[in-house]
Amino acid sequence: MTTHTTTRAQTPTHHTLSYDDVTRTIARTLGSPGRGYYVLLACAVTMLGIGVICLLYLFRYGLGLAGYSMPTYWAVYITCFVFWVGIAHSGTLISAILFLFRSGWRTAVYRVAEIMTVFAVMTAGLFPLIHIGRQWFFYWLVPYPNERGLWPNFKSPLVWDEFAIGTYFTVSTCFLIMGLIPDIAAIRDVATGWRKKLYTLTALGWRGTNEQWRHYRPAYLYLAALATPLVLSVHSVVSWDFAMSQVPAWHETLFAPYFVAGAIYSGCAMVITLLIPLRAFFQLEELVTLHHFENLAKLILLTGMIVCYAYVTEYFFAWYGGPTPEREAFWYRAFGRFWWAGWTMNVCNAFLPWLLWSKRIRTNLVALFVISIFVNLGMWMERFVIIAVHLAGEPFESYVRAGYNATWADWGIMLGSFGWFFMWFLLFVKNFPAVSVAEVKEELPPPEHAGRHR
Amino acid sequence: MSDGMNRRRFLTVLGATGGGAALLGACGVGEEQAQKLIPYLTQPEDQVPGIATWYATTCRECPSGCGVRAKVREGRVIKLEGNPDAQVGRGHLCARGQAALEGVYNPDRVTDPLARNAQGQFEKISWTDALARFGANLKGANGHLAILTGQESGSFGDLVDELAKSLGGRHVVYEPFAFEALREGNRLAFGTTAVPSYDFARASYILSFGADFLDTWLSPVDHQTAFARAHGFAAGNPAMAKLVFVGPRMSLTGMNADEWLAPVPGTEGRLALAVASVIVRDRLASAQPDVGRLSGLLGRHTPDAVAAVCGIDAKTIERVARELAAGDGLVVAGGMAAHYPNGAEIVAAVNVLNYVTGAVGKTVQFGPNQNVEAGTFGQMAELVADMAGGRISVLVVTGTNPGHSLGGAFWQAWAKVGTKVVISPYLDETASAADLVLPELHPLEQWNDSRPRAGVWALQQPVMQPVYATARAAGDVLLAAAGKPGSFKDYLQTSWHAVHGRLGHGTSFDDFWNDALAKGGVASAASVEKVRLAAGVERILAGPPDAPALDGGAHDPVLIAFPSPTLYDGRGANKPWLQELPDPVSKIMWHSWVEVHPDTATSWGVTDGDLVVLQSPFGAVSAPVWMTPAIRPGVLAVPTGQGHTAFGRYAKDRSFNAFDLLGGAANGYAGRTFTVRVSVKTTGDHRFLATNVGDPRELGGGEEIVRSLTYAKAKALKPGDRPFRAREYPVYADSAEAGWAVAQRTEAARGNYAGHQPRWAMAIDLARCTGCSACVTACYAENNLPTVGEDLVLRRRQISWMRIERYWREDDHGLQAVVTPMLCQQCEQAPCEPVCPVFAAYHTPDGLNGQVYNRCVGTRYCANNCAYKVRYFNWFNFAERGGEWEAWPAPLDWQLNPDVTVREKGVMEKCTFCVQRIRGAQNQARLEDRTVQDGEITPACAQSCPSEAIVFGDLHDPASRVAQVSADPRGYHVFEELNTRPGITYLARVVHAEEA
Amino acid sequence: MKLESPFAQRPTPGVLAVFGELGATVDAIAALKRSGHQGFTVYSPLARHELEEALAQPVSPVRAYTLIGGIAGCSIGAWITLYMSYDWPIQVGGKPIGSIPPYVVIMFEMTVLFGALTTLLGVIFNTIMAARQRGTIAYDPRFTNDKFGIFVPAEHTDAGPVEKLLKGCGAEEVRRG
Repeated sequence: MTTHTTTRAQTPTHHTLSYDDVTRTIARTLGSPGRGYYVLLACAVTMLGIGVICLLYLFRYGLGLAGYSMPTYWAVYITCFVFWVGIAHSGTLISAILFLFRSGWRTAVYRVAEIMTVFAVMTAGLFPLIHIGRQWFFYWLVPYPNERGLWPNFKSPLVWDEFAIGTYFTVSTCFLIMGLIPDIAAIRDVATGWRKKLYTLTALGWRGTNEQWRHYRPAYLYLAALATPLVLSVHSVVSWDFAMSQVPAWHETLFAPYFVAGAIYSGCAMVITLLIPLRAFFQLEELVTLHHFENLAKLILLTGMIVCYAYVTEYFFAWYGGPTPEREAFWYRAFGRFWWAGWTMNVCNAFLPWLLWSKRIRTNLVALFVISIFVNLGMWMERFVIIAVHLAGEPFESYVRAGYNATWADWGIMLGSFGWFFMWFLLFVKNFPAVSVAEVKEELPPPEHAGRHR
Repeated sequence: MSDGMNRRRFLTVLGATGGGAALLGACGVGEEQAQKLIPYLTQPEDQVPGIATWYATTCRECPSGCGVRAKVREGRVIKLEGNPDAQVGRGHLCARGQAALEGVYNPDRVTDPLARNAQGQFEKISWTDALARFGANLKGANGHLAILTGQESGSFGDLVDELAKSLGGRHVVYEPFAFEALREGNRLAFGTTAVPSYDFARASYILSFGADFLDTWLSPVDHQTAFARAHGFAAGNPAMAKLVFVGPRMSLTGMNADEWLAPVPGTEGRLALAVASVIVRDRLASAQPDVGRLSGLLGRHTPDAVAAVCGIDAKTIERVARELAAGDGLVVAGGMAAHYPNGAEIVAAVNVLNYVTGAVGKTVQFGPNQNVEAGTFGQMAELVADMAGGRISVLVVTGTNPGHSLGGAFWQAWAKVGTKVVISPYLDETASAADLVLPELHPLEQWNDSRPRAGVWALQQPVMQPVYATARAAGDVLLAAAGKPGSFKDYLQTSWHAVHGRLGHGTSFDDFWNDALAKGGVASAASVEKVRLAAGVERILAGPPDAPALDGGAHDPVLIAFPSPTLYDGRGANKPWLQELPDPVSKIMWHSWVEVHPDTATSWGVTDGDLVVLQSPFGAVSAPVWMTPAIRPGVLAVPTGQGHTAFGRYAKDRSFNAFDLLGGAANGYAGRTFTVRVSVKTTGDHRFLATNVGDPRELGGGEEIVRSLTYAKAKALKPGDRPFRAREYPVYADSAEAGWAVAQRTEAARGNYAGHQPRWAMAIDLARCTGCSACVTACYAENNLPTVGEDLVLRRRQISWMRIERYWREDDHGLQAVVTPMLCQQCEQAPCEPVCPVFAAYHTPDGLNGQVYNRCVGTRYCANNCAYKVRYFNWFNFAERGGEWEAWPAPLDWQLNPDVTVREKGVMEKCTFCVQRIRGAQNQARLEDRTVQDGEITPACAQSCPSEAIVFGDLHDPASRVAQVSADPRGYHVFEELNTRPGITYLARVVHAEEA
Repeated sequence: MKLESPFAQRPTPGVLAVFGELGATVDAIAALKRSGHQGFTVYSPLARHELEEALAQPVSPVRAYTLIGGIAGCSIGAWITLYMSYDWPIQVGGKPIGSIPPYVVIMFEMTVLFGALTTLLGVIFNTIMAARQRGTIAYDPRFTNDKFGIFVPAEHTDAGPVEKLLKGCGAEEVRRG
């Protein structure tokens, strides 16, 4: 089979698989769920319930129930917002950017990443609505015609944010649906019972005719081409929520690339965190191989190095800038009341990724899983430090510097956000193909008779 | 429509039925309350809806009796301001005075007469019944009657005197902080117990021995205005007085001193004599008559001898003496110095010093005397003894609360009195232990008068209908009970006929009376009298005890109990405005504390908030430590005012009562001793101090916020100088910046923003600001700021649009406290505005940073982006009826200013230079078809400021006062390098130190 | 004509061939083209460049949709920001009423949003149109799994040669549909 050495070289473990194996393997994941699945789902729903209850209290009595204090006007909720938006980034990166780079290994993992993206944005989008003081007026940020002739302020980064997040959610959903259609069709043709009806409906009549492929292929390409700048822009815009202000340690030109790198960093970590159990759960070892995890690990390594560089730069300029509020702020990050948060973030995000230089660790699933957990923790802490800690350590008006303590309302709603995310994730992976069918096949040698040369 | 289905009820029903109740509840659509609507058909001629009516009256929150003007809207008093026509206060009012409003509307007032029944419980009785019982008591007392009142320098005092006499009883006056030492000291030195008036405005060098003349001593508001004139720096008069404060503890007055000397407690007298001895020795002052008598004796008090005693080195004493004698010196003694067992001697010694410098007759004027002569603690102690001895069968208490400020001995005696009748608006400690409680009207609801100073007759009139129609004036109650005809108002007017006789100048009494009512009183100049040294003065010079013997263990630390600048002797404790007003020195709210020097604290192994048990021979309290450099090592200080066991929800069971540590026996000068030795036991317990001071900074703090100039530098400044001007960009960028900035502005000036607009601005002179915090309370009153309570203050949710920041500094004059008011700077290029997604924070054409509460969704981005951190968020619904965080329980909500909205939960709020006053004045001007005059608009803070440190006006009008003051070379903007172009210009404080 | 569902039952007569091998499919396509067949449909479970080369179809018009959508989005972004600013002119932070730099962000986001949506709609529209032209044609579930297929529309009179041709190219099975 010399003709297919190139494709094999990309995915050395696929040579044994046939198209049929792929379809069956993936179709198998959609069978009727076992007890374990329902336990997980129940946990997710319970977490969501707790969050909802906390939220109702918040609506009734006001934001005072959360741990806010002057001058810490933003804290856990915005931290969660940025955290979830960050998580949402690896999805589009893997499906769009790697698609443009024609890196074949993405096919096995991009669906999980995309699912994660869509649901993470759904989660992130909740927090700006939760954290505002009068949640029931959130729609005032939307430019809708009204009898009072009022419009939102397009100079406010928060409005940019609203547009960025909205666009990102829409586009990544389109992208997910695009990728799903042929796969749903494939599942449709092997499914039975009510699922068959469901897939017949959702496949939108896909049959894989040359006409369909003819429009499908370029459309996918253009979507990828649109999504690529988008994914880079979204977290830049989020970072400008901070960089456009004049709060020391927020007001940095570095923020956009710094945040984007951090987002992809945390996103890939989250992919690993989700994929390792999923792979075991669905016995996808043949499709999702060590090779894929190692590539993800390399992405983490790359972005981790960028994040590390960003940290160093921040401290350097704080020191180089002289006795300014900037220096005050970074002194506070390192040695202030919240030194532990600052150092957690440094260790998890700037020191830990160095381990990934070693191939042994990159190819050790246990190590990767543990590291990915710590990266997620570290990235959450990074956002907490940037938002809550630097507000608490007010560097300009020294008289109002004060502590900050999160309360049950903060933790409860944060827990609820994880429940919300995992609920959707679990529901999806059991009902729709969590690994691309058509695109994995693209990485396989097409069926030929031995010895037939052309 | 009244009982039909209107919109709100429809929504309510919808909410109840539609399962969206929680949501609607969150939206603030609550249950509709049934209310009686009364048409305003017959409208009193002086009441125009929407237009405020002002009534002149007199403040009764402390004995100094400042004149106030009460702002009344729709029949309810909503604000108190100083009365410019008044002889005392002269248009200014301190925080305590303004908070009288929360006395009228206090939710814990007594509404009906209460009598103790068989079970020992209070039960409501009718007034007829109450008066019958009271009358019977008075008659049945046959001589064994005592009427206890507070300082009453006017007709009410006379009435009580007469009644007591006619009933064969006596009238005892009790003020927890009376001025016995002052009177006795004057008697010793000059043979008169009169308390002179002190001309701070004229003094060029003020030496205060413990006298807190800016916060609690005699007439603080007047003193502060005068002090600001003398001590403030004006380009015009380069002479700037110097204040040296002598006392083991730095009080608010001490914070404003250029130099603070902390001697061994009780040795102040020796220090004064040492200064005097230097002056006499070196003939620094023109010789006064009979100084010869003293010189020999003064010789004993050489600086070196005294230095060893009082812990102030001889060089300093010599320097102070020279500086004092150089100009118009004024030496005052009071406060701590007058609260030692040897207080009278200290005052006498200070009098001698004044005499030696020739200040007596110049800056110390006998004649226009302070009227604080009634009542001594000795008389109170006698009364207690008589009560204990069963010689008092009926005790009537009104206008004072001995149950709080006197300890166990008083209560034992109290139990021996047959009948205790208390006439009071509140159920304070004394009232709640009485047999008969008669609800009294608040001073703002009843007639009275006072003579705060010789030659000043101040009138006190009801400014509104009583909040509780069932309450009555104490005078009326006494007259009725004693079976005397007429009302107290008649009595008052009869006594004013005498005044009319003296000052009427031929006008009819009615004209005279109405004029007095309109002005708040009448005044006549009191001539200055000469005084000479008394015969026995040598006895003092023979040497006051170095340090007086104090009760308590000989080696225990000395504890000083001082009157709280906010709660005074405790009468302010039931007013949330005062509870939430940070103490000017400690910045602690809602709680009491014990001041400990850091060295002492370290030696005890305690830190801020650690609870220590203070044990004196008379009692013990558990107090949280506040470490401060502003106290002499080894000395402790506690404020009075907290620790009530009754007195309403805001005061009850809060912190500890400093009076519990003090003895009940009168000292040598018939006064009370407020110093005692206490043993200190550290406990493991800790409590967080509710303060608004920020965490310590790693790299310093406040330098940019409060700037200082040395006196020499300040004098050298020429118009146009800008010593604090910051460069925002390199020189080569000037042209580009100019072009760019101009382009930006032209682009920004469209629509409403085009054309000439005023630019409202403020100038704050830090050389005048004392940190007294009157402006803070004024802001609370004017802008409906909620008080959030101790728990939320601890979580930094205080909503105080104006805060007074206090920083400690060190210069060659030693420890300095610097203060600055921090409020919204109304930036021209405000960082808060562009980040608001809904234009709730926007720029008004006249240069204010507007905040549209109804538009705000509460993203709080504006607050993050504000470098001055002067935006405050409504974390809860502070106006919710019966809510956990309700700030105005009825009838406290009657004090709300109808011109200002009460903010909903979830919105940001901030100072807007009292925009309601600006718009009011603009509308008035429009009605009269004229432009707004400079000085026509005064924000509440500027109006209240007793030291006149705040100037407000239109910066675009070059003739306006604010434009001129802002152009002062001392002017600077906080964080100027941020290029926010604030509307507030601070004028740097000027210090006598060599380097600032 | 009356608009009807693209999947309405209007069976098109023709020949359906099932291929197990990509190469055979490619050969069949070439053969069909040589023998002048048009409008036949090729089924494949995945997109393979071999097939595209063999079919050599015209470029899809979807890119036009994307471009139009993008331009429209950008201009809408510019319009709402500037119009709304001047419609309710409020000065904040001393900045110009309508300042372009911050609005660029909105324009960009709208570009992407509209571009993406029109692309998706373009695909759906085109495929539906294509299906309408073909009508309802025979299909085999295996085509989404591991088989390739070719459907050649032909009246049963001249279906014979087509069947022969497809068999010749190595179709695993051929049937009339």
